[in-house]
Amino acid sequence: MFTFEIKKIFIAFGITSSLMLSGCFAQSSTLENKVELKKNIDGAVIYPRENGKYNAYSINTQNIKNINNGRPATSNEIKAWDLDVMPDGTGLPEGQGLVEDGDELYSSQCAMCHGDFGSGGKGYPTLSGGQGSLKNQLLQAGDEPPVRTIGSYWPYASTLFWYVKSAMPFPHPKSLSNDEVYAITAYLLSINDITIDGVELDDEYVLDREKFLRIKMPNEDGFYPVSPERKDLKEQRVPLAQGTRCMKDCNAPKAVKIKNEITGFDPAISTVKDLPKTKDTSTSDTKNSAAAKNYEVSCSACHNNKVIGAPLFGDKDAWEEVMSKGISKVYENGLNGINAMPPKGGNIELSEKEFKDIVDYLINSSK
Amino acid sequence: MKKNSESSNNNIETKKLELTSRRDFFKKTAIYSASALTATSILAPVKINADEVEIMEDAQWGIKLGDLVDKYKYGIPSPYEHNNVRRLHDLLSSGDRYASVSMSPLHLQDGIITPNGLFFSRSHSGTAQVDPNKYRLMIHGLLEKPLVLTLEQLKRYPSESRIHFIECPANGSTGWRGPQFNNLQFVKGMMSSAEWTGVKLSVILEDLGLSPKAQWMLAEGSDNSEMARTIPIEKVLDDAMIVWGQNGEPLRPEQGYPVRLLVPGWEGNLNVKWLKRLEFSDKPWHSKEETSKYTMLQANGKAINYFWPMEVNSIITSPCPEVPWTDLKIGDTVEINGIAWSGRGTITTVDISLDGGQNWVEASLKGLILPKSWTRFSYIIKWDGKEKVLLSRAIDDSGHIQPSIDKLIQNVGVEGIYHRNPIVGWSVSSNGEVNNVHVRN
Repeated sequence: MFTFEIKKIFIAFGITSSLMLSGCFAQSSTLENKVELKKNIDGAVIYPRENGKYNAYSINTQNIKNINNGRPATSNEIKAWDLDVMPDGTGLPEGQGLVEDGDELYSSQCAMCHGDFGSGGKGYPTLSGGQGSLKNQLLQAGDEPPVRTIGSYWPYASTLFWYVKSAMPFPHPKSLSNDEVYAITAYLLSINDITIDGVELDDEYVLDREKFLRIKMPNEDGFYPVSPERKDLKEQRVPLAQGTRCMKDCNAPKAVKIKNEITGFDPAISTVKDLPKTKDTSTSDTKNSAAAKNYEVSCSACHNNKVIGAPLFGDKDAWEEVMSKGISKVYENGLNGINAMPPKGGNIELSEKEFKDIVDYLINSSK
Repeated sequence: MKKNSESSNNNIETKKLELTSRRDFFKKTAIYSASALTATSILAPVKINADEVEIMEDAQWGIKLGDLVDKYKYGIPSPYEHNNVRRLHDLLSSGDRYASVSMSPLHLQDGIITPNGLFFSRSHSGTAQVDPNKYRLMIHGLLEKPLVLTLEQLKRYPSESRIHFIECPANGSTGWRGPQFNNLQFVKGMMSSAEWTGVKLSVILEDLGLSPKAQWMLAEGSDNSEMARTIPIEKVLDDAMIVWGQNGEPLRPEQGYPVRLLVPGWEGNLNVKWLKRLEFSDKPWHSKEETSKYTMLQANGKAINYFWPMEVNSIITSPCPEVPWTDLKIGDTVEINGIAWSGRGTITTVDISLDGGQNWVEASLKGLILPKSWTRFSYIIKWDGKEKVLLSRAIDDSGHIQPSIDKLIQNVGVEGIYHRNPIVGWSVSSNGEVNNVHVRN
């Protein structure tokens, strides 16, 4: 706005002297502030601070309607991307899945992280159990914590379908068909003892869209946005706790120290300013290979995580033992799946050649 | 010009001896104090005004050519600063380092901007590497003109730049049951601040014929996890932005390159990265991250959902466990420096206590005081070598006052995980060491 006024002055009076110009600055501000503004060594204004603050942001106030960037989205494009599922069933596709098939899919694609029957325990979320635990508070060692699972905590089954469909299995999401998602969802509901219209979801149970819409999750009413009486999602949030501003002779509490100090930071905590140790970069070529990248994407979630139980990347002994079967057996096991590992680690899009390259990379990096 | 040759002949041996002994002294005492040299009382057998070798001898970097000016096409920090990095801990990862978080080293940051390479990074399925040429943003739902934008088309909108922090609502969540981490980086490092550049959503929506029924917006990422959250239309039209710039350069991949949502002051999780799709509806979506996570279980067994603003908060960044006062001598003037912030609005006041909460004084705010932004505070004392417990307490212009730990736990229990904003305590020992403490009744 300032600039605009100055432009007008330029046009009207043709004032070019910088001295006069800075005079205008001073004058227009004085009207508001009744303060003679100081100048800096370059002749520009030193603005006063009001209430201990400078101004916040200035903005462009021109009319900026009708920009018309981009193009309309086509209905097919919206259909391709709009895969979310809402609690009222909006977005839920047709399809069906058998609990037993879901069990099989879960065993091959999910159990390696989420444990048998959704028991968790490997750093990834526990998916079952926990009903009746939500009032637990882990205040001291020995207390039972609350266990938040699909059965004990999640308010809507729509969230489960949507999430499995768009984000699971973790290393290669969007690989499951709608029927497979129905099957896995049915299995996850069954291991949480959730019934539909009073009917238990046994192995032979077939979940479809119509039945899905009748699911009521046990903890649907376990949430509120502001306070327990109020469900209005847009009500202004009150603070979770409001402090008090005491300044003198306040009730001074005790300082509680850390009992068991946590270590294991990566890298270790340090503020030393020295030259870093140089690292061996001779393997950087292999690290950038296609096999290395495929490994990162498709295999590392398990083979870089010791709690999973798979032979670890870089674990010489473990891979020597694996290799004692001979490389062709190792390829075969990997291609067909072994123990908790699904065929090709679950990424069926890998060609046989790509998969074997990953195996070679993994073994060579673990010597 | 000072040259060794200028030192006169027969003094030179003595000087070298002095220098050597001084060097040794420095090595032995560096942990306590460099400036202590002038404090005659503590110090022993070193000549007081010894000339320092750093001045008396030419520095290695001053007597040879430096690096070529274009050695780094994209500049990097001094190799000596290799400890100024983000850090991880397995306790904060879900089984691996894809669904994980790296903590920002707040103890080495000044002012209210985090350098892009040190910005904390939380993702649910790894850092997506998006090809900007194939990037598309779709806006659809309850509006007349569903829209597709390329990155270049998006950047043609008139831009605004805003300084805002982003804080994960789980910041500080390891402290619910007591103090656990003895460093600032893990106590509060799940936040960072930047100047973001982008376009206000209200500007884009102006032309799309938004229906009055559109009460909620879904924001969805294009990464492996398709992270999605629901945001009320009031916030969308107030100050939410679609941003592509971070501190003067394109967003870093960890921050959602090429485009993320910015929801100033609200849960970090709402600031969806690698933004793919915005949809408008009359109802909220109840996505996984607003039901199974980012909801706060209370002691009554029920959980608070859709709690958005990051509440008024503050932390003393100097001193802190990583940046202690062990180099101070009695009588030294020292600044207590910290960051206050509120996702609801602007910081108005920060109080400091030196005695664990018995008495408080008002600190000065310094630098830019902006809404939903880190605000620096400062209080200067003379170090007296006495044990202290330092606390800071912030107040914002919505009238909210940072609560005590007891007050918060009394209200919400200890299982809420998110939105933990009580007063943080640093104990300072008589030798200037700093430790994380909780002040409790």
